[in-house]
Amino acid sequence: MQRIFNIKKHSLNIIFIALMCLSPFNSAHADTYKDQTYFCQDSLNSTPIRQGGRVKPLYVHARELIKFISGKRTYQGLSPVQVYCLLSLEGMQLENQIKLTARVDNIEAQKFLELKEGQKTIFLTELVNHMQKLRREVNANKVQDSRVKALSTLLNQAALYKQITSGENWLFPAVTNDRVDWIPLTAFLQEGKIEAAKEKSKSPFLYVIKSEVERYNTLKGEKHLLEYKFVKANLPVISMILTLLALAALTLFRKFNIALIFAFSTVLVQLVLIIIRILISGRAPITNMYETVMFSGFGALCLSLIVGHFKKEKTFVYMGLMYNACTLMMMNFATGMLSESISPLVPVLRDNFWLSTHVTTIIMSYGALALSWILANTVLIKRRFSSFSLTKADEVYYSDLIYTTLKYGTVMLGGGIILGGVWADYSWGRFWGWDPKETWSLIAFIIYTAILHGRYTSWIPNSRFIALVAGAFMSIMMAWFGVNYILASGLHSYGFSEGGALFLGGFFLAQITLILITTLGVKQTQNA
Amino acid sequence: MIDPKKLAKIEKNLGGLKFAVILLTFFALFMIVGTFLESYYGTDFANRTIYKTWPFMLLQFGMFISITFAAFVRLPPKKRLYGFYTIHMGLIIIGCGSFMTYYAGVDGSLLLPPSSPSREVILSDDILKMRFADDGRVVTFKLPYTGFETTVEKEYQDISLARFYPFAEKEFLWKTSKSSIAASEAIHSSSYSISNPMVSQDFTLSLHPESIDFESNVNLGPLTIHYLPSSLGVCFGENNASKLILWDREAATCYTPESKSIEVRTTDSQRRVLSIKKEGKLFTFLPDMSPWPMDKELKVIRGAGLRIFSKALFEEKPNLFLFGESTAYFDKDSQQWTYEKFSRPEALDLPWMGFEIVLTEHQKQKVPTYEPRSVLPIQKNNEIIRGGMKALELIVQGQSYWVTNDRPIQLLIDAKKVIFSLEKESITLPFEFVLTRFKMQKDPGTQRPASYESFVRLFDGQENKEHHVFMNNPLKFQGFTFYQASYSQDREGNYSSTLSVNVDPGRPFKYAGSLMLVLGSMWHYALNFRKRKKVKITPLIATDDDNHDDQKGEG
Repeated sequence: MQRIFNIKKHSLNIIFIALMCLSPFNSAHADTYKDQTYFCQDSLNSTPIRQGGRVKPLYVHARELIKFISGKRTYQGLSPVQVYCLLSLEGMQLENQIKLTARVDNIEAQKFLELKEGQKTIFLTELVNHMQKLRREVNANKVQDSRVKALSTLLNQAALYKQITSGENWLFPAVTNDRVDWIPLTAFLQEGKIEAAKEKSKSPFLYVIKSEVERYNTLKGEKHLLEYKFVKANLPVISMILTLLALAALTLFRKFNIALIFAFSTVLVQLVLIIIRILISGRAPITNMYETVMFSGFGALCLSLIVGHFKKEKTFVYMGLMYNACTLMMMNFATGMLSESISPLVPVLRDNFWLSTHVTTIIMSYGALALSWILANTVLIKRRFSSFSLTKADEVYYSDLIYTTLKYGTVMLGGGIILGGVWADYSWGRFWGWDPKETWSLIAFIIYTAILHGRYTSWIPNSRFIALVAGAFMSIMMAWFGVNYILASGLHSYGFSEGGALFLGGFFLAQITLILITTLGVKQTQNA
Repeated sequence: MIDPKKLAKIEKNLGGLKFAVILLTFFALFMIVGTFLESYYGTDFANRTIYKTWPFMLLQFGMFISITFAAFVRLPPKKRLYGFYTIHMGLIIIGCGSFMTYYAGVDGSLLLPPSSPSREVILSDDILKMRFADDGRVVTFKLPYTGFETTVEKEYQDISLARFYPFAEKEFLWKTSKSSIAASEAIHSSSYSISNPMVSQDFTLSLHPESIDFESNVNLGPLTIHYLPSSLGVCFGENNASKLILWDREAATCYTPESKSIEVRTTDSQRRVLSIKKEGKLFTFLPDMSPWPMDKELKVIRGAGLRIFSKALFEEKPNLFLFGESTAYFDKDSQQWTYEKFSRPEALDLPWMGFEIVLTEHQKQKVPTYEPRSVLPIQKNNEIIRGGMKALELIVQGQSYWVTNDRPIQLLIDAKKVIFSLEKESITLPFEFVLTRFKMQKDPGTQRPASYESFVRLFDGQENKEHHVFMNNPLKFQGFTFYQASYSQDREGNYSSTLSVNVDPGRPFKYAGSLMLVLGSMWHYALNFRKRKKVKITPLIATDDDNHDDQKGEG
């Protein structure tokens, strides 16, 4: 309370200085500057901020936060940092004309907030007034249905908005000797400092901030700058374009060597992406959905290039590129489901050795099995829809290719499950606990083992084998996404209203439909 | 004698693929159902209904048989199958190891409260403990490992175990009292709701001797609420000078010393004293010291139906007196005692922080009780939010009693005291732990724990040793392994640590089997690796350089 009081006390002077800096005409009325941006500029992008348990560039933090509270990354041409900065300055009574809204898609939540019919947004300034009501409602309901979930999200948005506008969210490094204290920027910008800076610079606020950041950088290093450059470089987009180009060269223009060049550039860019993420987070890049999707695509592409080289078979390259393109599209477009943010791990996962061996093996196995899934579906579609007619020999040949990737995938999956058991034994004292993630990977393993056995003993004919492999990948998707997006939500969650569950439901539906269409009433394969 | 041909056929079937696929399908189906049950109803429920039930164990045993016979029928060894034998051998060894863990392993948890010794390891089975106070006997019964309401048909002397609810919640009921009580006795109970614009609280108070769940007073923050017999209420409203009230329990009436012209004297030591004659006996009260009457030698007379209250003791702090359908309190502003009757459903205003009180239910004879009700548990964020209680019904001499895991009950059976409690099975370690320090680090600027570590002192009868247990760094001692599992914090901010305790005789087998499984599968594929002859196939991905095959794949 004391600190808030202090901010208010000196803020009147600060407002005055801020307004003075804006204009050479001191006589002008404050209202004319309402739509000014004060010192909120994009040059603040690389300023370090400590939030969510780590130091990151302001750009990354502002982008995540503005997206979370308003559902959008920008506001009327203002960059996320500008919006974040202006909102934070409200904590110093510096006014702005930003009117952010939060989306209210849930109909029950719309009724709860007494919105007009058809009104799907609410001003955050207004939402803040509903906070008490929302908190009471969320706390009163033990069982989380979609309504309570929506209300709880709105409550979090309101609370965060309140925190930002009170100036408490923007934590700034105040350097004294070799100590860094993270204090709210509004508390850092004291009148004395600004007055002193006025002598030296025309924009005293920026001057004070930047000189402090410089002192911080010399003391603590410039890791946040690396992250800022990394985010700005937009490597996921570059790799997606490269992969798509490779795919186009391979399938549309039929230039294999060009496709290979693009494929190798993709591998290179993705390698850089992964290494920088490791440098930023200090751990193996496989700890959230975004990272596992990225790593499986990358791993599968590498695997397919290696296997393709030794087997002298370019279909592998096609599988790898196709799957990598799928994962990169998800990373770039499904941002609501896969969050690219880097945040600290829960204590039990903080063991780089086990994290990198167990999880990497599992994710590589998902990648390898995804290759079999790509090829199986491609064969199914081609067999049904194109003029391409499969001979018996073709069918044998392609099921052998599928079988190869399946072998690698299943062995890696089994190995990964065992490594997980060993890790669990090492840190909890038990190999197996019937945890849903463990159980679902075992289910997937069993399904693939059954298919392998059936094929090995010629129990499953090749034509059915291909369809089975295409369908079996659903168990991997369940173990990978389903456990987090469907099972984790618990009873009465009506999970299908959410991004992840919707994606997964859509995937299952599409896969089942595809198998049905391509296998029912399919023309008999001709003998060679 | 069994026909060897038939035997061979049985062996072939048991080792056959069809049997294996049927088992695998059922195994997978059980697991799928299990994961969904787990996500809705929690881990414990899934264990009790799927993973640790005999059909599921039987399936696992069936798979063990299938794997064994699949290898057996493919003997004598062929070189091509060496990998296959290794894989199946590995699986068999893992199976043996798992059985040893199941049969002889220990998986429990050890709670370490701050700075006090602990050696009790809590396991997962529910038990009923009966402690007979007279001869110190302790009798335990193991309760069924089930997910649903079950009837336990077990008896011990004239105590029989009836319904068992593994997942239950409390249900509020007004029950008829079991014994008959004289009509003059004050045994009434009431429910109230007290609220102001900020908070609201419902509570029930009871004078009934059979009420175990509800008492006759309650503290709500700084406010103390007293529940008294209804006949006492009237006198609280009289603002008599002595501020004393006398209560005749047998006649169920109250009066003030002033109304009966009883003189209140003051002793030399500035204490008030008064005497009453009732049925020829003299009762002396020292009202500022004790509510009980005394005889001439100043000894307390316990059984007397007379008591005295000094209202002056309840004026300083907020005290609310409830008499069932009426209430009394001291208003500091007017320096007056106020007595009011409830007229339902109207609320009465109280003089503290805008509070008002409503009488929601009043019962003269019935007993307010919480009775367990069997429910399906609900889990949210890995916590059971409903059905976290276990309850067992005991029938003693024709009467039914419920014992729950959160509170033991005490019964008098043939004038002997017996304590019943619902607990988890436990074992006692041959050595002792003391938590000397608990360290928790948080992620910078947040409340999220980054690591937690326990510093423990281990005493094995001879010497003390200091150990440091944290995530991914367990402590091994005398065959036991201790892992940092979780922690909790009490109101004073002291941390307690929970270690999980584990003994696993099957461990070396599981490791060996796993290794064989992985190496075996690699060996299998290496042995079966053969270069396929190039056949003319229709290319799936046709490229322009198809005719000069040799260049492809090179980077």
